[in-house]
Formats: sequence, C-alpha cells, structure tokens
Amino acid sequence: MDDFISPLLIEQEPYYRSVGKEVALFSAAMARGLPMILKGPTGCGKTRFVEHMAWRLKLPLITMACNEDMTASDLVGRWLLDAQGTVWHDGPLTTAVRYGAMCYLDEVVEARQDTTVVIHPLTDERRILPLDKRGEVVKAHPNFRLVVSYNPGYQSIAKDMKPSTRQRFGAIDFDFPPPAVESEVVAHESRIENDLAQRLVAVAIQSRALRGRGLDEGISTRMLVHAGALINEGISPHDACALAMTAPLTDDGDLQAALAGFVEAQFGPRS
Amino acid sequence: MNPRAQILQGPTSLRRMAALREIDVAAHDALVEALPWLCDHLKEEPEFVALADLVAQVATETPEAARVFANRLGAQPGLAADAVGLRRWALHGLQRHRNDAKRRIHHFEWGDPVVFSDEQTISDTEHLLDQRSSLLHYLAGYGFDDFTIDLHEPSAAHVPDPAPTVAEALIRLPRRVDGIEPRTRELLFRAMIAHAAAHLRHSPLKRDAGNRRPTLLAITALIEDARVERLMVKEHPGLHALWGRFHTASQQVSGFDLAGLTARLARALHDPTYSDPNSWVRKGRDLFEEVAARDLGDVAAFDRVARQLSIDMGKMRFPLPRHYRPRPIYRDDNAILWNENATLPEDESVQAEVTFEFGPRDDKQQPIDLTDIDIRRRFNYPEWDYKLEAVREGWATVLEGIREPGRKGKLKRAMRSGQVPVLGMERTPDRSIRLTRLSEGDELDLNSLIDNTVQHRARIAPDGRIFLRHGRRRRSTAIILLMDLSMSTDRFVPGSFTKVIELEKQAATVVAEALDPERDRIAVHGFASNGRHEVNYQRVKDFDEPFDAPQRARLSGLTSRLSTRMGAALRHATASLADQVADHKVILVLTDGEPSDVDVIEDDYLVEDAREAVVSAAAQHVRTFCLTLDRRADHYVRRIFGARNYLITEQASTFANNTSKTLVRLLAP
Repeated sequence: MDDFISPLLIEQEPYYRSVGKEVALFSAAMARGLPMILKGPTGCGKTRFVEHMAWRLKLPLITMACNEDMTASDLVGRWLLDAQGTVWHDGPLTTAVRYGAMCYLDEVVEARQDTTVVIHPLTDERRILPLDKRGEVVKAHPNFRLVVSYNPGYQSIAKDMKPSTRQRFGAIDFDFPPPAVESEVVAHESRIENDLAQRLVAVAIQSRALRGRGLDEGISTRMLVHAGALINEGISPHDACALAMTAPLTDDGDLQAALAGFVEAQFGPRS
Repeated sequence: MNPRAQILQGPTSLRRMAALREIDVAAHDALVEALPWLCDHLKEEPEFVALADLVAQVATETPEAARVFANRLGAQPGLAADAVGLRRWALHGLQRHRNDAKRRIHHFEWGDPVVFSDEQTISDTEHLLDQRSSLLHYLAGYGFDDFTIDLHEPSAAHVPDPAPTVAEALIRLPRRVDGIEPRTRELLFRAMIAHAAAHLRHSPLKRDAGNRRPTLLAITALIEDARVERLMVKEHPGLHALWGRFHTASQQVSGFDLAGLTARLARALHDPTYSDPNSWVRKGRDLFEEVAARDLGDVAAFDRVARQLSIDMGKMRFPLPRHYRPRPIYRDDNAILWNENATLPEDESVQAEVTFEFGPRDDKQQPIDLTDIDIRRRFNYPEWDYKLEAVREGWATVLEGIREPGRKGKLKRAMRSGQVPVLGMERTPDRSIRLTRLSEGDELDLNSLIDNTVQHRARIAPDGRIFLRHGRRRRSTAIILLMDLSMSTDRFVPGSFTKVIELEKQAATVVAEALDPERDRIAVHGFASNGRHEVNYQRVKDFDEPFDAPQRARLSGLTSRLSTRMGAALRHATASLADQVADHKVILVLTDGEPSDVDVIEDDYLVEDAREAVVSAAAQHVRTFCLTLDRRADHYVRRIFGARNYLITEQASTFANNTSKTLVRLLAP
C-alpha cells in the first residue's frame, strides 16, 4: 500500500454491534466493488458501521462530510499555485481512486446534485475518474470503494439524489436497533449498567413516537451514549438527559415538557 | 318607574332593547319585567347594555332559552352582578348544547353560573389548557397518538369535581384540582395521563359489568388500577415515584369508611414500605401479592380477589358514597373498564355529557339545515370575545361546498407529494444559482483566481474577474383573494352603474390573469355568512387549478347574499394557506363594508374578532391586506388590519387597477 494513504488505515477495531445481516451484505457488495448507499436516521450508527467495515476489510478510509458549498473541484482536486507555478492537488475522491481506499461521502444529499455527478463514471463498469482540467483519466485502483450515506427523514425535493446517481448504488436501510441491542450498545459505549441503559433506551423509544408531531427525529442512539457518559461522570440522570437528549432535540416548549415527562417516567419526578 | 331604572335606560340601551324586541318579543318583555330588580345590581348603562346583548345573543340561537334566561334574571337578579362569569356561563351553554335545544333551555333554567365566577376553576382550567398539547405529546409517547384531551363539565358548587374519564380517543380531565399546589399540578396531569395509558395498554376494556354491584365494581377497578400500574412500572420504573407522590392515605388522614379504606388499600398495593393496621387492607394486600407473584396478566384471578374483598367490605356495611371517586386523585373513574350500561354511579350531569358526545345526535333540534350537512365539509374555528378576553372554542362553523369535477391537478399533486415528502422546503437554501467569474462579489472564485494568476505569470493580460456571488432566487408567493359576497355587495357603487360584486369579480380576473403561475400561486375564494353555524366559503379557483373556463364560470356565477363574518373566513383562509409551500403568504380581502352577522348585535364583537384573526394569521407568517370600497371604512379597517395594510378605493373605475397595484406592492421583495 502506498505510504501516502497508509496512515488512513484503522488499527483498532471500532465497536459495532451487528443487528441483522448488514455486515455480510455489505462485505459481499464490497467484494463485488458495488458502491453502497447507507440510509437511516441521524445517530443510528451509519458512520460507525463504515469505520468498522473499513477496519474489517483492511481498507484506508477517506471521509468527506458533504455540504452545499462543495464543488466538483473540492472532490476531484484542483490546480493550486506555488512559487514555481501551478501544481495539481488531488481531491479526496481522486486520492481514494488513485491509491485504493474506501471513500465515504457522509450526508451526500447535502451536496448539490451536479456535484455528485462526477462519481458517475466511477460507479459503473468503467471505474474511471476523468480529470478534465488536468487532461488525465485516472483508472480506479482495485481496492477503491465508494460508500455514501444520508438521512431520508428530512429528505425534500431540493435535497435528494438524482435518479441517475441512485441507480448505480446498492443500498442498506439502517434503523435504530431493537431495545435490547440498543441498550447493550449504550451500556458498552458509555460504560454504564445495563439497567440504566435500558431506561435511557425506553426514553428514546417514547420520543421516537413523537416523530411527525413536531419532532423531525426522535432521540438517537448517539444522544443516549452521550447521556449515559454524563451519568457515568456523576451527573444526575435528569440533568444528563436534559443536557444530552431533550434540550438539543427541540426548541418547542410543549415537546420539551413531554420529553421531560418520558425521562420522569423512567427516573421518577425530579426531587 | 324606579329612578335607578331610568339611569339604565339611556339611548344605547333603548336601541338594544328595540333590537332584542325584533328578535324575540317574549324575551324582551321578560327582561323589561326583570329591570326593576336588576337595577339593584347594575350601576351604569353599559352594564345593562351588555346584559341585553347577552340575552339577545341567546335569543338569536334559541328564543325559548332567552325567555327562560330573562325570567331567571328577574328571579335571581344577583346573577347579573358578575357580568363576566354570567357571560362565560351563557356562552358555554350555547356552545356545549349547540345541537340540542332542550338541554340548552335546561342549562339556562337550572345551570349554575356561579361556577364560572370561581377564580380557582378559571385559573386551573387555563393552566390545564396550556398544558394540553404537551400532555397529548406525552400520551403519544405511550403509543396513543389519536387522542384528544377535553374538560369535564364544571360541577355545581356542592359536588366534588369528577375524576378523569377515559373514553374512546378522548380523555376528560377535571376543570379544578383542589389541594394541589401549582408546581405539583403538572406532575398530577402527567400522572393522570400515564395512568390512563396504563389502562389503555393493559386493561381489558369495556367488559360486561353483568350483575356486579357498585361496591364490587369499585373494588374490582381498584385492583385493576393497581395491576395495570404494576405492569406499567415494569417498563417505566419512574412512574412508581410519580404516582407515589399522590398516595397520601393513611389511618390518620383517611376516614374509616369505604372511601378511606379503599384509598389505604390503593396505597398499600402501591407502596411496599407502607404498613396499615387495618385487617381488611392487610388482607387485600396479601391476596393481591399472592396472585401478583404468580401472574400479573391473570385478570380472572384478580377478579376473584376483588370479589372476596367486596364481600368482606359488605360485612362491614359500608355503602358506596354518592360522589365516590377513586383515590388517589390521579386515577380515572374507570368508566372505560365497563360497558356503558353498568358504569359506576356518577354525577348525572357528567354522565349526560359523556353520552351526549357519543350518543346518536338528536337531529330534530339541529339548527342547521339538515340537507346541507351531508354534502358540505364543516370546519370549526374559535372566535375572540374581546369582552371576556378569551377565545370561544369552536364557535364559528365554516361550510365548504363539494366542488364540481375537474380537479385533476389536485389529485396529481397529492400523488406526487405522497411519493416525496415535502419537508423543509421553506428552508431550501439558495444554492441553485452560483455566479462565477465576476469582477466583484462576496467571495474569491478560486478556479478563476488561479486561471488569472496563471495568465499573469504567462504575461498575458488577466481579465481580473475573480469573484463569485450566490444568485438570488425570486421568492415564491401564495395568495388568497378573499371576496366578500355578502348582501351589501349587491348595491351599486356610488356614482357608477356597476355593482360592488361585479367590481370584485373584475379585480379577481385581473389579478388571476396577471400573475406568473411559475412563482406565484393564487386562489380566489369567497365567503358569506348566516350566523355562526353557517359561514359559507366558496373556492372559485384553488391553488392547483388553472384559471380556465370552469373557474371563470364559477366566478361569474357568484351572487350576493347573507352577511360578513370576516374573522371565521380569515381563519379558514389562513388554514388553507398552511398547506402551501411559499416564501410569502398573503390574504387579500376585497370588501365593501364592516363585518356583521345576523346573530351578533354587539357593536365591536366582529371587528375585534377579525382583528384577532389577522393577528393570528400574522403569527403563522400570513400577511393580510384589505381593499375596501367603503369610504367610511377608516375606523374599522385600520383596527382590523393595522395602519398600513388597507386601501380605501372610492371609485369603481380604479378598483381593479388598485387591486393589481396592491399586489405588486405586496409581492415586492
């Protein structure tokens, strides 16, 4: 492997608790070189899953968080200046293509649709990346893999992938794991007792019933881990839940009161 | 005549009495008879005017009730002393029994206005209504998404407030909670809701009560309460402490009777650390724990426990008190457990209310024409009562006709939006337009900057355009042109041969044709009212329709009739705009006169209500503007729409022109 990207290899196994067949499915898709879409609500473990799989497949991981100001040049690279003249700088996507890494575009729908079109030639059987500004066609390294993720929860017409982009991918739907598994994850990640983790998960499950009542998304596994870690540090459950879960989730007073009620239903009224 | 009575007989009150006489002579006469007694309690003329208005308001809806009301004022003139409480009580009666004249008359004959003067009831009710939406969210967290929360009927002074009632898709909470400080009250509401959720989740509902006696029913319910709470606490352990807050019964504070003993047993079943000296309570606990240790789901075994306890209670000869309610205070009356014909004995008025909601409607007393009900959609909206400074919930009913065919556009859109949820559209960033290679702009355009420097180094003259700026999208607008179709629009505009309604039609045509359908969506609606139960609302052209032959035909077919209840129409238009996705939302009202309606004789009521409708529209980011042909409109249009949001046009020739000018102004970025 090229020294250039070997630092991007993940050495320690990132913790990931498998829920269904996603590890086997993803491995099979990767073996075929099929680019993948990971869909699912915020904080349900998509990014962690990618890290885990990169470690498992022993691939360096290049992550890009997409945003609406991102241009195609930001992905593939651009000419820059130095004292002698212009030099070409590969973008993260080109680096991954050239040296063989897993390129992960997080929240891909946040990028403009015309930006993501640059991945089209990479994601069919051609597996090439034309760099028109440089007059070069980069043939993809056999180890190059492409994974994108997004959250269909707040998808809108303006934030969606082009059908022509979608059709090149395989996809796995993620959701919050079943309560028993989720509390296992929370207990592991925030190093708290399983009983406490179960109560936190019960709060989250109640909050997820409020989706569509003014709440875009319920409390995520990530928020539970944060709350658990705060409790582990000695902060009272009510305060930890307010700080890490109910207060960040919404500004609506009525919803916050209801969320505080769910915390109360697990930990009793605030004394 | 009594000299004080003469004080009350000023010009305004004479005018109002004349109005009342037109509505109902008998009510008028009854009020005149009551006058000598009333004057001990009324000091000024306006107080009497308000009273006469109230009687007239009742008379417009049910004349018999107004007669009863006026007679009652003569018999109990003291009622008039608290004008606000009396008004609240009268309006409550009108609204609560809107479909039932008999009950309405009964309300005015026997109802107790005093409960509406009770400060604590009012403040408790307000507090509860504040909490309502948060409590509904809370209930949804337990998986019951489609419930509503309503209030019990206020109970008479000597009757304790009823327990919460859980029914199908409805929870009724008491208006007044005694002995609970405000801070704990929110806990109490949540405890009530969580307990209701426990029943809904774990109880067998609507069982046949069979030949069970009231005492057995009460004790079975008590055991059932404890059982479902146990089950609920398994999933939500914090509820144990929440409910525990309200278990205060003990040998010292509770009486030695059925209510006291059941409360103590409830506590003993809830709190393992509580010890009670009474043998019945101890026995109840032992029996319960024995079954609970085996299987909490075994309802039949718990029924046997209840039967045993009930027999023992019978031996002590404690009867079920008349106004028995389960303790602690958060527990509901368990009506949901039993089939309706065998519920616990309750206060009759409360029972009547519950059955009224679900019972078959007595169609004979329906004040609205029955033939219309099936074919028109009904929407209820509140109205603002400026004298009470409170909203009258669900006071006005907007009726909307089913439209002729030709609505393909709407269907298509519905299908499309079913596939792609249109969420967050309003937050859509303006990223589609990126202007690069500009000679000035907000940011450096990196790519052209490098090109520029390359050219510079290659000793070619660079063009210097190295900036980038984000383009601006023109904002989209949704407009409702709201036409007043009341009878007054049938008159000719002074100094011309055009009728007002024709002018409105012309203006609507001009505007609907002029707008660019790409960005600006326009709907043309009209309204005319016939009392609060019948605000007719017509959609001439809706947002998703083109302005084609059928819409034009509908527009030219509009006729003038009835009156102008502007507030209800504005609220309905605002609600229609809520579904629209647009940066600007505008309601443009075309009218020719002051709001008025057949069932309102108070001067400012409809103006103030319309003003409130405008303010709440603004709170939902809907702008309102009024174009009026009434040259004396200044004093009320300004009050309703605000100083800069109206235009008075006196001349027919300029009306359509002014309408489109106004729109241009409203659409300006």
